[in-house]
Amino acid sequence: MSDRDFTVIGQSVIRKEALSKVLGEAKFAADYKFDGMLYGGVFRSTVPHAAIKRFDASKALALPGVACVLTAKDIPGKNKTGIIIKDEPCLVDDKVRRVGDAIALVAADTPERVHEALDLMEIEYDLLEPIFTIERALEEDSPKIHGTTNIHAKKHLECGDVDAAFAKCDVIVENTYSTQMLSHMFIEPDAGVATYKDKIITVYASTQNPHYDRSDVAGVLGLPSNRVRIVQVTTGGGFGGKLDISVQCHIALLAYHIGKPVKMVRSRTESTIVSAKRHPMTMRAKTGATKDGKIQAVEVFMTGDTGAYASYGPAVITRAVVHCMGPYEVPNVRVDAVFVYTNNPMSGAMRGFGVPQAAYCHEGQMNAIAKELKMDPIELRLLNAHRIGTTIATGQVLTDSVGFKETLLAAAAKAKEVM
Amino acid sequence: MKKRGRGVASMWYGIGNTGLPNPAAAFIEVLSDTSVNLMVGCADIGQGSTTAMAQIAAEELGLDYEDIHVTSADTMVTPEGGATSASRQTLISGNATKLAARQAKGTLAEVASGFLNVPEEDLIFRNREIYSCKDNSVRMTYKELMAEMKKHGRLAVGAGAYNPKTTYLDPQTMAGIPYEVYSYATTIAEVEVDTETGEVEVLKVVSAHDVGRSINDVMVEGQIEGGVVMGEGFAVFEKVEYSNGVIKNPIFSKYLIPTAMDAPDIYSVVVECEGECGAYGAKGVGEPALIPSIPAIAAAVEDAIGVHFTSLPITPTDVLRELDKQKER
Repeated sequence: MSDRDFTVIGQSVIRKEALSKVLGEAKFAADYKFDGMLYGGVFRSTVPHAAIKRFDASKALALPGVACVLTAKDIPGKNKTGIIIKDEPCLVDDKVRRVGDAIALVAADTPERVHEALDLMEIEYDLLEPIFTIERALEEDSPKIHGTTNIHAKKHLECGDVDAAFAKCDVIVENTYSTQMLSHMFIEPDAGVATYKDKIITVYASTQNPHYDRSDVAGVLGLPSNRVRIVQVTTGGGFGGKLDISVQCHIALLAYHIGKPVKMVRSRTESTIVSAKRHPMTMRAKTGATKDGKIQAVEVFMTGDTGAYASYGPAVITRAVVHCMGPYEVPNVRVDAVFVYTNNPMSGAMRGFGVPQAAYCHEGQMNAIAKELKMDPIELRLLNAHRIGTTIATGQVLTDSVGFKETLLAAAAKAKEVM
Repeated sequence: MKKRGRGVASMWYGIGNTGLPNPAAAFIEVLSDTSVNLMVGCADIGQGSTTAMAQIAAEELGLDYEDIHVTSADTMVTPEGGATSASRQTLISGNATKLAARQAKGTLAEVASGFLNVPEEDLIFRNREIYSCKDNSVRMTYKELMAEMKKHGRLAVGAGAYNPKTTYLDPQTMAGIPYEVYSYATTIAEVEVDTETGEVEVLKVVSAHDVGRSINDVMVEGQIEGGVVMGEGFAVFEKVEYSNGVIKNPIFSKYLIPTAMDAPDIYSVVVECEGECGAYGAKGVGEPALIPSIPAIAAAVEDAIGVHFTSLPITPTDVLRELDKQKER
């Protein structure tokens, strides 16, 4: 039997969940209901950078139907969450770092009551200077959002002799590319229900990351991981926007304190404001080639705004740096990257982790080189394409499954047919 | 006037987390009636991993897709799956699933070997039958095998874990092995630019993706189509507007994403490229699907009106501004 002779692999079988979705039977987090279930809500900051001078929830607590209001001091475990760097509080303790920071939680008998209670909460801030630009973030006298520096991450990649290579190039192209902040706009806003029964916290959530969610819920509650159960229920899209903690810790904390199931469903506005966004990035690129079309050197300097918390920032900067010369054999590469904290919305994971931004840069450069050399852009790519045996800028030798040239030829053939 | 242009762009994408361990695991049990329980940590968020895992398990066990029931992403039932991100689940949970199935199959092969009097390494599990590769008349059905298993008090269970072969990257130079394997893609876009209104209409997009091995063609094509439309949004529509830390357009009526009316004609091309790393050679397509369409659309706009845009999105205002500059020259 040949290895390619499959019975199931490659078959376009009908998805396991297709019928339940088509019939409208699939249950999303917001569809879950439990006896005695309460509804939760979050009181959020409306300022980007501030210390909390006074917070008063007494009027909210006096409202009939309100079960509890929780603040940072009600957290039994660690008040720190975050996938790579634990720099985001579950509920603000020291200071507010962005618009939308969670300050207090409320649980009540109806969603309407939750909103009423949130409206009755009072807060006074001591405003701090907010930072909205990378330039200001990097200035020595700027206020620090976390710790002693606003530099969130710095990366340097180097191979070959970039300066010597540029000196030998026949054509050099320099451009500065910038990309915008984007929102995932997954169709289903973040939602979940938590129960606390038999000393087990169970969270039914819309998530891309149940095992990570478990560790942060366990951390916030101070429970061993095996007493936290995260059940990922039918999830209406994510695109990276449901990798961070959303409602999980908040509903778990409420359920833990009041012993009743608690549901939280974010509105579209709350979901968009609070969930991570795509990093806006600026990439200054210099690409050099000899007149035969061989790319000899690439130099890139990139900056990114990760906003108030790290989220997946460390993954985005690393991936962008590794990928920013494109799928080409480039013997001389130098990349420097700086990501900073600001009081802007948090940036994190979004489909591609910085590579879409990097691809806009390296492909803009490739097409510019093709134009300068009056070469067909596909020919230029074929000439420089990764193949088995290529050494990439990190020194890795590619040995397995490199089908880049095939995609160039296949795309060109299909375009010839349909365009 | 309407001006047409065509542009090409490519990408590469390392599958899995960068220069870090990122394992996933799976549990499997073949039940006495030949139905199968597969438990994977991997969260299916609509991309179809649950279906892909069932296909991988069925192929490895020689059973039908319909025989496999998948429980996914329940931390008290399923083992660690890591995040559904970095286009990693087909490679990593896929390999874990295959390894779990292979372990269960090991026990099944032992029992079948005794019954058929055929060495284990000569046994083929396929289409709900087990037979000798030397003489396919020496065979038994899966039902018969499970009855034999019962007789011997054997259970067909397996656990598999997979961690892609990467190294930590050098903190000074970033030298190392960031990813075990890479997906590649090339996109060619055709656009029409209205020089009166500045509007960019994306007409046709061809997108060819090296996915290693396609587990499910329709699902791969679905990813590519979704990615192309998302890329169109990135290139010519979408932008979060914010000032003083406040997002001004958090709702769909103010943050415009492409709708079906905006979607171009999309021609997906699935390229398969032999490889050892993935389950049956499968790599990943979730994020690659998006990436090359963005620079391809920008290149097509450049081809149409001769402007090398270096900032996204390319809005009608940007197009008209650049066309005005051209007139002044």
